[in-house]
Amino acid sequence: MGAISPLGADRHQTFAAALAGNCAIRAAAPEVAKWLPHVVVAPAAANPEQLLDSKYAALDRATQLALVAAHEAMTEAGISGKPEDAHRFGVYAGVGFGGAQTVDSLYERFYTLLHDTSQPGRNPTVMHPLSVPRMMANAPAALVSMRYGLNGPSNTYSVACASSAVALGEAFRAIRDGYLDAAVVLGTEAMLTPGALMAWNALRVMARPNVTDPARSCRPFSKDRNGFVLGEGAAAIVLESEARARARSRQALSELCGYGCSSDADHLTAPSSAEQVRAMRQALADADMQPAQIQYLNAHGTATDAGDVVETQSIRTVFGDAADGLAVSSTKSMHGHLIGASGILEFAISVMALEQGALPPTATLEVPDPRCDLDFVPLTARRNVGVEAVMSNSFAFGGSNVSLVARRYRA
Amino acid sequence: MLEEIVKTYLVNAKHIDPAKFDQPKLQVSDFGLDSLDMVEMLFEVEDRCGFQLNDPMRYLDMSFADMLADIESQIRANNNGVLPALTLESGR
Repeated sequence: MGAISPLGADRHQTFAAALAGNCAIRAAAPEVAKWLPHVVVAPAAANPEQLLDSKYAALDRATQLALVAAHEAMTEAGISGKPEDAHRFGVYAGVGFGGAQTVDSLYERFYTLLHDTSQPGRNPTVMHPLSVPRMMANAPAALVSMRYGLNGPSNTYSVACASSAVALGEAFRAIRDGYLDAAVVLGTEAMLTPGALMAWNALRVMARPNVTDPARSCRPFSKDRNGFVLGEGAAAIVLESEARARARSRQALSELCGYGCSSDADHLTAPSSAEQVRAMRQALADADMQPAQIQYLNAHGTATDAGDVVETQSIRTVFGDAADGLAVSSTKSMHGHLIGASGILEFAISVMALEQGALPPTATLEVPDPRCDLDFVPLTARRNVGVEAVMSNSFAFGGSNVSLVARRYRA
Repeated sequence: MLEEIVKTYLVNAKHIDPAKFDQPKLQVSDFGLDSLDMVEMLFEVEDRCGFQLNDPMRYLDMSFADMLADIESQIRANNNGVLPALTLESGR
């Protein structure tokens, strides 16, 4: 697994910071803050360009983040170049908005040159010829397939906040159903740009800065919540069949064993408990598990009023009597909402919780909302916990709901 | 300056050995550029001159000197016969 997130430049840094309850939220960059002084964001902890070969310097930031996360995941999986079974090895990516940085730069260049009388020889309509390859949503998948010579399908799913959770689920199915033996799954997002943030601001879903500590502005399941914080980053996970892992004598980190997905078919942004319940139940049934067998659930938990309350109701419906024994946290309280990358980052955090027996907190839950009455692991991490199975929820604008289940791998 | 702009791009972005430019019969095809590399190289000129060069792939069949001469003639044709002052630094 690999990650470059607001919490750290790799997956171990990310999880250590999550366990420490560090919140990586801060004021937006000056070019955004001058228009939107109240907006807070969660930028990636490192500049991906500085972690890559110079040949990747001209790519969009979302693709650069994906390459960094993929490198960590592939290295950990013992894969440095083209595998012998490259045609049985795919790339599955989840991207919400694609090359936002490229799109923003393109319009900025156009309007700057249009109104700049000091450069009469230049033409606003002459754009860089690689603008399209940079901004296309499947650029991250394409670059990763090229980097490792992977000839299996390189598919990109754009399902808003559930994008990379869908990518994980679809790769899981492709391997389980025999179409592939392995896949590197990616999620990436980099849209902390002026244009994108102005658009998000218009939706009235962004958190206002916490007056005491702006880093603690994202407050899921809290009575004083006021919206989510946009983050950026990427995560990657190498999935492979049990047979392939065994043939390579590789020890699995865990077993991805359940995937459920549903669509509300109702409203663009408002959540639906019925379909969230269906996705979670599908994932449990896929894994042939009962709710009581899950010890930790990483909630979608974006810190919007409707989202938090409906997800709490949905978890209660699915888990029934087991709900009170279930630990649930929203790590978005610390790393913000990575949109297309959030599903895989939060699933990776869930797997690390299983791996290390430690549960990351809902770090800003100081004033619980009485309507959200689960064990949300408030404020501090819980360590030395026996974790055998985890669930991760991703519920997207557009009404797509995804749940993933992983359990400890036993040969 | 036109030659300097193109050479600088090829050396810095495509890692072409600067000694290569000493060859009197240097061909554009000697650089091993693909079609994306070609349009990226020509953008270095287009960005400074404000128009798109015609049919970039034909340069692959030309010598380096002929390509530069053709580009210069297109710049002049777009500027009433004048070659404007170009700088190494781009506006991007």
